[in-house]
Amino acid sequence: MKTLLTISWRNIWRHPARSSVLLAAIIAGLWAGVVTVGIINGLMQQRIDYMIESEITHAQIHHPDFLAEGYSWLYIPNHDEITNWLENDERVTSYTSRTITDGMVQSPIKTSGVRIRGINIESEIRTTNFHENIVEGEYLDSDIRNAVIIGQKLAKDHNVEVGNRIVLTFEDTGNELTSGSFNIAGIFRSASTDYDERNVFIRSNEFIALLGDEKVYHEIGIMLADEELAGPVVDELNKAFTGIHAQTWRQLSPELSMLVELGGYMVILITMIIMIALAFGILNTMLMALFERMREIGMLLSIGMSRLRVFNMIMLESIILTITGATVGIVLATLSINYFSDAGINLEMFAEGAAQLGWDHIIYPVLSSTEYIIILAVVVIITLLASVYPAIKGIRINPLEAAKDG
Amino acid sequence: MAIVRTEKLSKVYNPDTVPVHALRDVSIEINEGEFTAVRGPSGSGKTTLLNMIGGLDKPTSGNVFINGQEISKMKDSKRIDFRLQNIGFVFQHYNLIPVFTARENVSFIMLLQKRDKKEIRQRADELLDQVGLGERKDARPVQLSGGQQQRVAVARALASEPKFILADEPTANLDTESAMNLLDIMEKMNREQNVTFVFSTHDQRVIDRAYRVITMVDGAIHKDEIKSPLEGRGVS
Repeated sequence: MKTLLTISWRNIWRHPARSSVLLAAIIAGLWAGVVTVGIINGLMQQRIDYMIESEITHAQIHHPDFLAEGYSWLYIPNHDEITNWLENDERVTSYTSRTITDGMVQSPIKTSGVRIRGINIESEIRTTNFHENIVEGEYLDSDIRNAVIIGQKLAKDHNVEVGNRIVLTFEDTGNELTSGSFNIAGIFRSASTDYDERNVFIRSNEFIALLGDEKVYHEIGIMLADEELAGPVVDELNKAFTGIHAQTWRQLSPELSMLVELGGYMVILITMIIMIALAFGILNTMLMALFERMREIGMLLSIGMSRLRVFNMIMLESIILTITGATVGIVLATLSINYFSDAGINLEMFAEGAAQLGWDHIIYPVLSSTEYIIILAVVVIITLLASVYPAIKGIRINPLEAAKDG
Repeated sequence: MAIVRTEKLSKVYNPDTVPVHALRDVSIEINEGEFTAVRGPSGSGKTTLLNMIGGLDKPTSGNVFINGQEISKMKDSKRIDFRLQNIGFVFQHYNLIPVFTARENVSFIMLLQKRDKKEIRQRADELLDQVGLGERKDARPVQLSGGQQQRVAVARALASEPKFILADEPTANLDTESAMNLLDIMEKMNREQNVTFVFSTHDQRVIDRAYRVITMVDGAIHKDEIKSPLEGRGVS
């Protein structure tokens, strides 16, 4: 074995440039695979985290028809009982009640449709981090009466700014059309320009006063200790209370759920493309190395080296190259992932396009240890598979090659 | 008993298309201690005969016996092992392992035989001393001249303690001085250690030194001459 290792190791360095190129290909392949998967994972995770932490939360409760119809009279019937239940459940870290209805926003130049969200500032800040999206002016905790915060895109479309007034029109719980004049206290920018264009935020107490006589809430957002708890909590809520519909974030945002799945497929696809390119590179190099050594291998077979040993010798060359390349590649990839998971990859040039799609332009790659192991295993397996063919060709060499002229 | 015996050995290439009769009913015996040259023009079948004797190729018909064992019917893996234990090879193009030193090249075959490491090193050094390369044991083939490389190849062929050594055109790529030097070494081993050599060659320098000269023409033995031992060793 030691002799085979020696001969294989020295064979590798017979053409240092060629072996270095192959090593570089393995390193680059592994690095690219890991970093690509990390970036896709990061994008997905950021999108999910953002959506959960800034808006959707882990679970929500609505009137069963509210999400489909959006009318103000489709409010949660037993709100206080539910919040009492939530208050006493250890799995719930925080929750916030929202008063929501669809309506119109009117500025001096334009009228457009929006979703008006009345929020409780204290519980909203405890539950989501939406307040961090304010880019101009103040959040709703300002002293301004009838304050509203609007999205940057909406402000641009309506040519309004902080300090201007807009009129919000909507149906109250009695089915009557109601209007209110609101002062723009702040402007927010979320990861999605679409969201920025279609949502405005006001204080829930001011909203409730305009909607009717009683306190109405259309949505309760719930944050849990762990995302995995969403399913069980939602099931329990639906069993415990009638006239409501509790849903997990995956049910509330199927497109987000689909994106996660799509991301998984993309990871497989990209990894496979990189690996197939790598496999052909290895195959080509190993075949070249083999064809150059036909006479030498013929000699080895002539003098009595078994075909199994020849096979092992060729495979060992690939294994040594793979292990060396994979080790360096995984170290570089880990360093890159560690660095960029803190510093982020700033894709400023794509910021506008990314925002329109609801993605952040600063990506923080993420990779689980299982994914590291899977990618490493895929690289090693692909490399070894690519070496099997040259090794089989090697053992089929006729010993008479040793005696050939030229 | 003959070390090598062939019975009506025939080899036909392309039997179904354009048959080429490389060997026709060749029956010979080579005894221990012989210093035999197989001569003949290109295409006469001398290399094919050596390949059959060396178990590198299978005959179309006939048998090859080495030390009484029929090798042409052996399975490939068994034949490879048989070669390892019984036959030494010297090739025209030396065919040393380029990434190994002279000592490692000589040792390699003994490692394949799974011999004791200390013994391997000792024997490799002795053999390299015998072929006059005691000072170049750590040189790689690229650092050696053609003649020196062929001497390493002879040492390698001897390392496994084979029953005989087959040398295919061993001097074809060597200048006169290197060729004579190599022949001196092989002749000395034959004389002093009774090592059996079988050459295929059309090099007159080898033929002049051979004790027995088999001449082949068109795949058949045309002439089989046994010279007197002194004459065979170039002392006419």
